[in-house]
This record gives sequence, C-alpha cells and structure tokens, in this order.
Amino acid sequence: MLRARVLENKLSSLYKAGKIVGGVYLGRGQEAVSACLGAALIPGKDVFSPLIRDQAGRDAFGESMLDCTRTYLGSVLGPMRGRDGNIHRGRPKNGMPAMISHLGAQVSVVSGMLFAKRQKGELAGVVGATCLGDGATSTGAFHEGLNLAAMEKLPLVLVIANNQFAYSTPTTRQFACGDLVEKARGYGVAGHVVDGTDLFACASVIGNAVKRAREGGGPQMVVAHLLRLSGHGEHDDASYVPDTLKAGHYGRDCLDVAMEQLIEHGYATAEEIRTWQDETAEEVQRAVAQAQQEPPPDAYTEDWRALSTRFS
Amino acid sequence: MSVTYIDAIREAQAKLLREDPRVFLYGQDIATFGGAFKATKGLAEEFPGRVYDAPISEDAMIGLAVGAAIEGMRPIVEMQFADFSSVAFNQIVNQAATHFYRTGVPVPLTVRLPSGGTPGSGPFHSQSMEAIYAHYPGLIVLTPATVTDAYHMLLDGVALDDPVIYCEHKFLYRWLKAKSINGEHLPIGQARITRPGKHATVVAYSAMVHEAIRAAERLHEEGGWEIEVVDLRSVKPLDLDTVLASVARTGRLLAVGEAFPWGGVTAEIVARVAAEGFHLLDAPPMRLNARDTPVPYHPKLWAAHRPTPESIAVAVRQLLSF
Amino acid sequence: MPSVPILMPQLGESIAEATILRIDVAVGTPVRADQEIIEVETNKAVMGVTTLCSGIVSEIRCQEGVSYSVGTLLGLLEVTEEEVARTGVETMEAMEAKRAITPEPGSARAEANLHFGTQDDSYEEAPAVVPNIKGLPVPTGTMGAHYISPRMRARMDDLGLREADISAIAGTGAGGRVTVEDLERFIDYIETWPSSQASPMRLAVADAMRRSWTRPLATVGLPVRLDRVLDHRRNADPKPGLTLYLLRAFAIALSEDPASAGFLMGEKVVHPRAFDIGVAVQVDDGVVVPVVRKVDQKPLRELVAEYADLVDRGRRRRLTEADLKGGIATVTNFGTFGLTLGTPIPLPNETLILGIGAGVKKPVWSDQVEAFVPATEASLALTFDHRVVDGGGAGLLLKRISELLQKPEAL
Repeated sequence: MLRARVLENKLSSLYKAGKIVGGVYLGRGQEAVSACLGAALIPGKDVFSPLIRDQAGRDAFGESMLDCTRTYLGSVLGPMRGRDGNIHRGRPKNGMPAMISHLGAQVSVVSGMLFAKRQKGELAGVVGATCLGDGATSTGAFHEGLNLAAMEKLPLVLVIANNQFAYSTPTTRQFACGDLVEKARGYGVAGHVVDGTDLFACASVIGNAVKRAREGGGPQMVVAHLLRLSGHGEHDDASYVPDTLKAGHYGRDCLDVAMEQLIEHGYATAEEIRTWQDETAEEVQRAVAQAQQEPPPDAYTEDWRALSTRFS
Repeated sequence: MSVTYIDAIREAQAKLLREDPRVFLYGQDIATFGGAFKATKGLAEEFPGRVYDAPISEDAMIGLAVGAAIEGMRPIVEMQFADFSSVAFNQIVNQAATHFYRTGVPVPLTVRLPSGGTPGSGPFHSQSMEAIYAHYPGLIVLTPATVTDAYHMLLDGVALDDPVIYCEHKFLYRWLKAKSINGEHLPIGQARITRPGKHATVVAYSAMVHEAIRAAERLHEEGGWEIEVVDLRSVKPLDLDTVLASVARTGRLLAVGEAFPWGGVTAEIVARVAAEGFHLLDAPPMRLNARDTPVPYHPKLWAAHRPTPESIAVAVRQLLSF
Repeated sequence: MPSVPILMPQLGESIAEATILRIDVAVGTPVRADQEIIEVETNKAVMGVTTLCSGIVSEIRCQEGVSYSVGTLLGLLEVTEEEVARTGVETMEAMEAKRAITPEPGSARAEANLHFGTQDDSYEEAPAVVPNIKGLPVPTGTMGAHYISPRMRARMDDLGLREADISAIAGTGAGGRVTVEDLERFIDYIETWPSSQASPMRLAVADAMRRSWTRPLATVGLPVRLDRVLDHRRNADPKPGLTLYLLRAFAIALSEDPASAGFLMGEKVVHPRAFDIGVAVQVDDGVVVPVVRKVDQKPLRELVAEYADLVDRGRRRRLTEADLKGGIATVTNFGTFGLTLGTPIPLPNETLILGIGAGVKKPVWSDQVEAFVPATEASLALTFDHRVVDGGGAGLLLKRISELLQKPEAL
C-alpha cells in the first residue's frame, strides 16, 4: 500500500511538472482493497487483470515498479514499448493481461484465460481476478462477462471498488439497486461486502473470497465501499465531491487507518513505518530516475506491424 | 457424392478438433443442436468437452476467446450471423486486434461470420462486414468462395497466430457443391484467377465470384468477350500483385462486392490499382456494390439490392465501351 | 550550477494552456522535490505545477493572471549536481544540447501553429474563404478522339511512338478514341509488312522535323535570275558553289535586319549574336547541317575553302558537335536534285530556312527590248516560323536576296 501511495504521489508530481504525457490515474484511497487482492493471489499461477486504480494490487502481485515508471515515462524498455501507456500495461504471459480502455471488457478475458486452463486440465486451485469501479457495473461487457463466468462456473473473483464516483458521476446516476452486492444474487454468484477503508477487514473478506473461489465456489463478487481520494485522473481536481463525503466514514484514508491498525495490533512500530516510508521513497526515486534516463521509442526503427504473421 | 460449402466447413472443424487439442468451439446453439446452419452438426457428440453452447453474449464470447488465446488455445467462435458481431465489435477491434501490437503476445482466435444475403433474410441477417474488420490493423479477413477454399482456408486460418475473421457466405452453404475437396490449394494471401480472359478484369470475392462468372459467360455468348475473373480469397491480406497482373493483361478493371458501397473492399481495390497500376489502365477503374441502403427484406427488393449477373454484365459492358 | 526548467505541464488530454492563479515562490526560495509551487487553472480544474527535484528558484518567467500554453518555460531552478544525479532530471543545458540535434516537442507545436498562422497557440476561425487563387483550367472531361489513356501513353513510350505516329490508326473507343487494343492491332498489322530498322540518323532527322513542325510554318517564293551569278562563277577561281552565293546574300540581307532571324522563346525574341548560317548537306540516310561562321563578315572567296571542307566532312560523317551548333538560319539547295519547287522545313531551333531550286532556262519578258529574252531562273523559297516573321517581312527579305544576287561581284 505504502509503495503504491508513494509511487503514485510521485507520478502525480511528475504529471504536474509536465513529465508525463497522456493520463495519470491514481488509486489513492483504494490501496487497501487492491493490495489485499494482489496479496491473496499467487503470481505464476493465478491471473490478475488490474484496472486503473490497482497500483497496490500490481505491486502485491509482483509487478516491478520499473514496469510502472517505464510505461508512464515513455521508456521503450517498458512492457508496452511505448505502444500503450500509463495503466494500459500488462504482461499477459505472466498472468497479468493489459487492460483496454473500455470498462468491463476484462471480465470476459480473465474468464477466457480460466476457461482455457480448464480445457488444459490446469485449473485446479487457480483463481482469476479483476477489478471494476461502480461505473463499470453499468456496462454491457460487465454483464455479459460476469454472466458467462457464472454460467461456466469459473473461479473468478470480481472486486468492485465502489468509490462512489465514476469520473464526476455519482452512483445515484449509475444504478438503482440498493447495494451493488445485490447483483451477485441476480447472477447466481456469491457476494461479499467490505469496508474498503479498513485494511484488516479487506484482508479478511477478500482473502476469504479468493479462498472460496480457489476451492471451487464459483465466481465471487466483492463490493468494497470507499471514497475516491483523487480526481478521476490527475487532470481532474474532483471539485464535485461534496465535503460531507470527504468528512464521512468512507472518506477516511485507508493508509492512515492501516498504519494505526498495524501499530495498535503490534505488527509494526511507528519507527518501522517511518523506515518503510524512507526506503519506499528511495526505491521510487530510483525507479523514476532510471526510467527517465532510458530512451523513448524511435519512430524510424520501430517495427510498424500489427500482425505477427508475415505474408510474402 | 458431393460436398457442399457447409460440409467443408464442418469437415475442417472436425479435423481441427481431432488433431489439435488447443482448438475448441464456442457459439450459440452449436453443441447438441449443431448450429443454426448445422455447421457443427455432430461435433459435440464426437468431441465431448470441445464444443460449447454460448449465452447470447457476443462481447463476452470474444473476450473469452481472447483470454483463451492468451493462454495458448485456438478457439473458434461462431457468430450466429455476421450481423450480430457488431455487439462484439469492441472486443474484436480493440481487444483482439490490438493485442499483439500492444503486448507482443499474438491472439490466435478465429471468428466465423455467416455473411451475405439470402432471399428474405432482411437487414440484420444479411450483412457483409469484411471491410469494417479489414479497416482495423491486426486482423486477418478471409472470404472463401469455393468449397475447397472453405475447407482449407479455415484450417490455414486457425493455424495462423493472428486473429482471423472468417466470412463464410450463407447463400453458398448449400447452393455450392463440389465433387470433392481438392487436396491442392493456394496459401492465404494469394488470389486466384477463376476464369482467364483478356478484355476486362472483374475482381470479386465470396458469392460474387459466382455471379461474376455467370456475367462473364453471358458476355462471352453475346459478344465473344473474354472476361477475366479474379477471386480475391482473402480481403486482408489483399493480393494486389495478382490483381495488377490481371489488369496488365486486360487494361480494364471492375471490382464487385456484395457489401455497402462506401469505402468497401471494392474501393480499396480501385484505389490501389489506380495508384500502382495507373499505366495499365485503358479505362477508369470501376466498382459495383450493393445499393447504399440497408439490405431489404422482400425478395424482389433484395434481388435488386445486390449485384447480379445482369447488373455485373451491364457494368462490364460500360467498361468495355469506354 | 546546472539549472532545471519549470515547464507548464499538460493537465488533461485536450488542454492547450492554463492560467496562473498564484505563484507561491520567489527568486531565491528553496524548494523540495514534488512541491507544488505555482497554482494554475485549466478549464477542467485547478492544479498545482510541481517541482521535479529540490533546488533554489533562480528565475520566474511568468505572471499571475496570465495564460501560458503547455510547454512554456515558467521559471528555472538552480540544482546541485548530486540532485541531478539522484533524480535523473533533465537540465536546461542537456535540453539545449538536444535541441541542437532534434527539434523540441514545443517546436512541433510551433510548426502546427504556423499552419494556422498564429503565435499564441490559438487561432481565429476565419470566415468562409472565397477561393481567389487562379487554379488550373478545368478540362470538360469528355473523352474524344484525341483522348489517350494512361495505358496508351505507357505503351507509346515503350515503343517510342508519338501522337504523330498513331495518327494512322482509326480508333474504335468511345468518341473515336484510339484504344490500346486498336494500337496493338495496328502494330500487329504493321508487323506483317516488310520493315527495316530506322537508323540513328533517320531517327534524329525525324525527331528534329517533328519538333520543328510543332510551329506554324509558312513558305513564300520568288523567282530569281541567275545569269549574273552564273557569269561570275564561270570566271571565278576557285569556283564557289551556287549555294555559297546564296549563303552570302542571305547573310548580308539578314545582317541588315537581324530581327527577322530572331528566335521566339516564350515572350522574348532572341536575336542572332553572329551570322553563322548552316548549309543542308544530303548524306546517306539523312541530312546534316554544318554551320559556316560569320558569313556576313567574309567575302565569297574567303568562304570557299571553309565551305568545301564542311561539305566534305559532312559527307564523310566527320563533323563534330561544334560544327553543327550555333546556326541562326539555314540554306538548302534542292535544285541539285533537279527540283524546281520546294517548301523546306527550318531546323527546330531556327526561324528561317532559305531554299533554292534548279535553274531553268526560260523566256522572260524584257521591258527594255519589249520582247521575251532567254534567261536562267530559279525559284527561291523562304520558309519561316509565322510566330516571328510575317509574309511581308519574308517577302522583303527575299527581294533583298534577289537584289544581292544580281551583283555577285559585291558578295
């Protein structure tokens, strides 16, 4: 969580210094949810399709910080080689597909990867997960993907981070059901609800959902309640988020809550946390510095082909 | 003993299921029912666990295929009608088509699109969508016109590592019969001269190849004209070399397509020949397409909507009299 | 100490500029990395421009309340070498060095703006433009008998054919145009006739005549009495050829009116610099035209040797390129073939050609004795490019030449 927060603060800063072109999307406020999901998954075995606010999850799942800084800063050595940027990055062969911008589309892709593993007889004990926001639950792709995963009884874990806004649109303009978790019943999947600001609660609920999927419980829908603590992107100042929400329970910063919880339950001292913060700042700085010094793609030497097949 | 175009498609899928464990079929009504057109009849029984009935979710069907392809499988997705693939448009052009370019990981899926019109099929069961998919980089678009090509191009298409849009023509399903499937066949990317000639070149693909041949025969009877017919076989990659070689022989070009006129495959051919074969043209390069309206339902209207041997002959005659 | 630029960032995909709301630092203020130092407003949000590294503000180049486009230099930080190394930040010095090699991203934007002709990253929507630049004349596009398709052109180029060459072919295409099939049929047909390869000489003459013929040429004629010349010649030693008398008369007449030998180039008439006149010499398969130099300045007997040498070398195909260049007019004696009348064609780069036919003994009316007396007459023919010379001018020239030929001893 800490690594994600420090890294993303740095990305925001780089954006406001003009060093990043295109969009910057932060997961500020969502780190607890995302990190717990990433930590519950097993790299090299599970599939994880992170979305736009999943830096913490990516980090927990094992994505290197350099993949992030290289993709944002336009280094040709990044996983997308300049052909896509920011959060549209992934390593499909390592179980981390790269998202496309159309929300909801990744649900069926992760389902397909699980389906294939089943065909190959390799699905035992494997879980596939992806995240969505409250807005994405309105898309047809979400509906088709979840419905299909449920019908095919795939071990899909769908974490819906209800951060109450899709860009500037509040959830009152997004759906009419009471709590999004009610949809789980409609799809025939298990539903879970969790306070997204509470690290310990997230670890428990999300960990449990992943476990149940892994044990053959079919798709698991987790709805986490929180507040988006940043703009939709860093070009947005989120001035439409009312102060009452920011002051409310879900407006709490999960990182602050987590630090309190860790100290309270004796998992770490304030001293240790400060050390983590310093080490993280150093690591982020190194990853940023390295990526900045690497070359961008060269339009002249670029292999301008969209097909892997060469026709004579 | 004869083989229909749809027999060939079924045979090809059977062969793939038999020989390649990475292949599975996903589509609506394709399992026990054998498919709306029976393209998969008997396959679910013969290959249990390989042929699946999909829910009515074209978007998710393709998303699933992309995911499966990332994991090394070679899924074949049957769209019940090409017209319904528009629901999956996003997954086809933004997920599948961009995947290799963006991530370096190719996506070897195949989408079978029953395309083209039959009498009474109406606006949503008649479309030819090859130009729309060909427009996006990262897709291969196949349009077999013969029984042999229906068989071999499906096999070859599935063997390619890139996403393939396989446009099979519904009218040809049972109307087109061959004595047998040829062993010899051309590779993907090569067009075929279906009928040699010297007075004009007619470039066509899919069902229009047959209409073009009838038009050519008519012109031969009435005026001794020798019209060369080129079957593109694949819209993308487009075999411009064969087309240019033909225009080099004849000096005149008519491109015929069943799809809507604006920016279709025929426009692409005319643009390329005009640019690269300008000195070969003794007359302006022409094209003939369906009318610029949705495909009408009534058989009388439908018959006047798409190119026919008569309308092709008229267009060729105009070309010849230039 | 290296300096690091503070640039206006791109705060949104379609954002082109932002307005400075507040500058939170002054020159000399020390700053940390990732510190927001300038508050700006885009049309979407209020944001803070952030530092890339720690340092001291050394320059501020912007003002509150003013709008600046993305990429503008807003200020500079003075930064230590260690900090540069630690953060990997790009210094002004490094950016300037790069600019020497590659264009700045800002300049691409500047180029884009040049297209719209503005300085400040935005442009005025122009009112509807009325095209007032004269373009090419627009052909009607009706294909007629003269239409030649791209394929025809390509085929004609391959075969070395010109439009003149295909004038023999009747076209079966629309409007009577010659189609490529017509052409191929014609060529096949020609193939059935006995043929021989045209020699390079033949092709050269063909090309010259074709090019010359693209002009409007006209011929005027005048009979000239040769008796005086023939008498003079009988008594001369060495004996000048008849052509040489003509050459001298022509040169003198032209030198009295140089404009008549002028050559039209576009809108200018180019005048002769020297009266170098060519003489047509028939050779095996064609004609060569060696040029006799400064004919106006040399009397007849001085020209004899030069002329004889040129003709001899011409016949033996020993003329150099220099011998054939620079003529301003030509003389041709087709009388040597026994011809009395001719319409010679000037060289493509000349306006005039003067021809003379064979002398014929005939009765000519004499006012003096009021009877027909015998005389030797030949016809002079002057072909001229009617764009430069008119019939009147040509007539005067011929009359003067005839005059000069009645006094051969003065030539």
